[in-house]
Amino acid sequence: MKRTRNLFVGAGFLALLAVLGIAQTMLQRTAAVQAQGAAQAPRFEVDPMWPKPLPNGWYLGQTIGVSVDAQDHVWIIHRAASMDAFEAAADEGTGTCCKKTPPVLEFDQAGNLLRHWGGEDGAGYQWPASNHGLTIDHKGNIWIGGNGAANDGHILKFTQDGKFLMQVGIKQAGLGPDSNSQERFYLVAKVSVDAKTNEVYVADGYGNKRVVVIDGDTGKFKRYWGAYGNKPSDEPAPSRYTNGSQPLQQFRGPVHCADISVDNLIYVCDRTSDRLQVFSREGKFQKEIFVAPDSLGDGSTWDVAFSKDAEQKYMYIADGRNQKLRIYDRKSLAELTNFGEGGHYPGQFYSMHSIAVDSKGNLYTTETYQGRRVQKFTYKGLGPVTKKEQGTVWPRRTTN
Amino acid sequence: MKRTLSMAALVFALLAAAGAAAIAQRGGASAPSLSVNPLWPEPLPNHWVLGSVTGVSVDARDHVWVTHRGADSLEGGEKGMMLTPPTSSLCCAAAPFVLQFDADGKLVSNFGGPGQGYQWPQSPGSLVVDAKNNVWITAAGLEPAPASGRGRGGVDTTAAGVAAAARGTVAPTGPADAHVLKFSSDGKFLLQIGTPGKMEGPDSQTTLNRPAAVAVDTGANEVYVADSGNHRIVVFHAETGAYKRHWGAYGEKPTAAGGGAYDPAAPPARQFRDVTCVELAKDGMVYVCDRTSNRIQVFQRDGKFVKEGIISKNTRGTTVTGQFGVLSSYGSVWDIAFSSDAAQQHIFVADGHDKKVLIVQRDTLAEVGSLGDGGRQPGRFLAVGSIATDSRGNLYTGEQHHGKRVQKFVPGARR
Repeated sequence: MKRTRNLFVGAGFLALLAVLGIAQTMLQRTAAVQAQGAAQAPRFEVDPMWPKPLPNGWYLGQTIGVSVDAQDHVWIIHRAASMDAFEAAADEGTGTCCKKTPPVLEFDQAGNLLRHWGGEDGAGYQWPASNHGLTIDHKGNIWIGGNGAANDGHILKFTQDGKFLMQVGIKQAGLGPDSNSQERFYLVAKVSVDAKTNEVYVADGYGNKRVVVIDGDTGKFKRYWGAYGNKPSDEPAPSRYTNGSQPLQQFRGPVHCADISVDNLIYVCDRTSDRLQVFSREGKFQKEIFVAPDSLGDGSTWDVAFSKDAEQKYMYIADGRNQKLRIYDRKSLAELTNFGEGGHYPGQFYSMHSIAVDSKGNLYTTETYQGRRVQKFTYKGLGPVTKKEQGTVWPRRTTN
Repeated sequence: MKRTLSMAALVFALLAAAGAAAIAQRGGASAPSLSVNPLWPEPLPNHWVLGSVTGVSVDARDHVWVTHRGADSLEGGEKGMMLTPPTSSLCCAAAPFVLQFDADGKLVSNFGGPGQGYQWPQSPGSLVVDAKNNVWITAAGLEPAPASGRGRGGVDTTAAGVAAAARGTVAPTGPADAHVLKFSSDGKFLLQIGTPGKMEGPDSQTTLNRPAAVAVDTGANEVYVADSGNHRIVVFHAETGAYKRHWGAYGEKPTAAGGGAYDPAAPPARQFRDVTCVELAKDGMVYVCDRTSNRIQVFQRDGKFVKEGIISKNTRGTTVTGQFGVLSSYGSVWDIAFSSDAAQQHIFVADGHDKKVLIVQRDTLAEVGSLGDGGRQPGRFLAVGSIATDSRGNLYTGEQHHGKRVQKFVPGARR
């Protein structure tokens, strides 16, 4: 009797397992069927309380660069000088908050502030008149650009402790564009570094209209090119790009990013042309896309970053004009979906400027002008695209 | 029996722990502890954004009403859809001037802008919803009105400007702000006190000068106006707008010169400098913010002076020039709200220049705690200039200048 009962129980258990198994298979099938119609894309939601409040009464100015190191620490650069007398009231002696903050800041994954440095000239180097862009290379060193008009013709390389390693180019009062110089830049927006060749791709920039490649250790100029791989020219652009007009054969600029992908393609932001151009490492033009081509003003292509999978299947474009983080299929250069909205609440943007991705696929954004913050968007895995415009991506609401 | 006792002890201990968690200590006195709800309110529809927020008020249903300075306070990059030609089809446009949210942060209704029979403010100064659910808005201007009585010129005659004006998102140009408006909760115009462009000084019984705020005594059917440019509190009949009485600092006669420049080392000025709030406590006392003087003065309803408290004495101020004109930021006492408990034990002070909410004990006017600090992340502040509490202990703040947010703080530490 007892034995029979055990048998029954065993049979019931087996049956349950079978049902569960079938259900599982059906679920997978349903998901597969749904996915056939809808493309997959990375999903994100904002972490509203990251990072933690800054210590020392510090406050961020225009935040114009972000990069993630091998420990998944998040490094940003901002412009302390952009804080007005009201924001810096404690420095001015008119109030209890706040104080100007060193420009280079390191946060851990929990959002704690770790190292902080920069802002002054040192032995052998000149700090930029206006900070612009920060990149951590494969050796963990930090590169920064500068776009202080009539001054910044250089880039700087430091260790993570802020020890000076190299300056390429010069800072000099009265400097102007020279897009064919072999010695200096003019108003660099950002660099990216090719770990395989130790070459540095310089988005040069706000003043010059080219991409420059230099050696990562010696700073020696190796090659450079303009739009479509043409020889760059400093001739002013005749007019702003408007939707459907003939694309300019030179970069309009600012040449705002030059990021290298895992398959050795260079993605270049030509911001006020609302376009992204793709090149080989040698500067051979591959293709271009226009992003939200009805955008005027600052333009739509501010920065790019790639997804963390081995082949970098997805590309992210920071569209600081329309306040959208755009997710592209990198191979086809088709936009899959976007998120973000204008505003000062979590997950919203005012002039989203720079973006970076950590090893877990989380995304970090910085905002310039009066946005003045860094935000973290937690990677939630791939999912079918259900909306072209996702709007503000909030975590599930807590009850308050 | 013994078991019951230990249960009671446990319950007591739990209650004590919960109580301790909700109290922040400073100098032996206790202050309420609050934490930000970062996901309030819900994102606005139609790519709307808030401009400089100048008024927050909570109505009898605990709905939150907000007013802001609209397109005039937005940078070009924030209002790309309103420019000619538009620089974006996706971001952004100024939200209507008056927004009503429910306690969950859902946008319930909106109105605002020019209409028949009244002049919409060039710059809404603050907003109050009274016990009858009427909405009061002050016309506070951005700058002291020029002697000519003319406001900022330059009518935007571009197609986008005209369209924006039609949508009610751009302040009209014309005579300088010098009035108070009263609307029903659905935006129907009810009453205007004062005349734009007409400023006849601190003895006037019919005119105002950049009024910053109002408080409504529904029982007495009176409206108290913080008449900033005239350095006085002036009381009118809330239905007819008929003049009742007025007074200056310490209940004395106000002068056109006001209190002059603030000096922390000097004795308190006998005149108001910049009257930016007036609030009525449940016990009938009238609380007034003299912003640039870093003080709260307390009066009886007839204007008899009761006491004053100096808050953050060394706070001064600064004037900065931004993309849309001159922004001034002076003093520590921009707006106040009473705590939700029956005795209104505490006062929350929006200290815009120091970028904090200070918590003051109402009986002593002594600072016992603070909330937030400078920054653009949730729970931080820029120019926090308006503040309100609801019936359940929640606190709402509005930020001016580039803060451009309304934030909600809930009782207790953040979980």
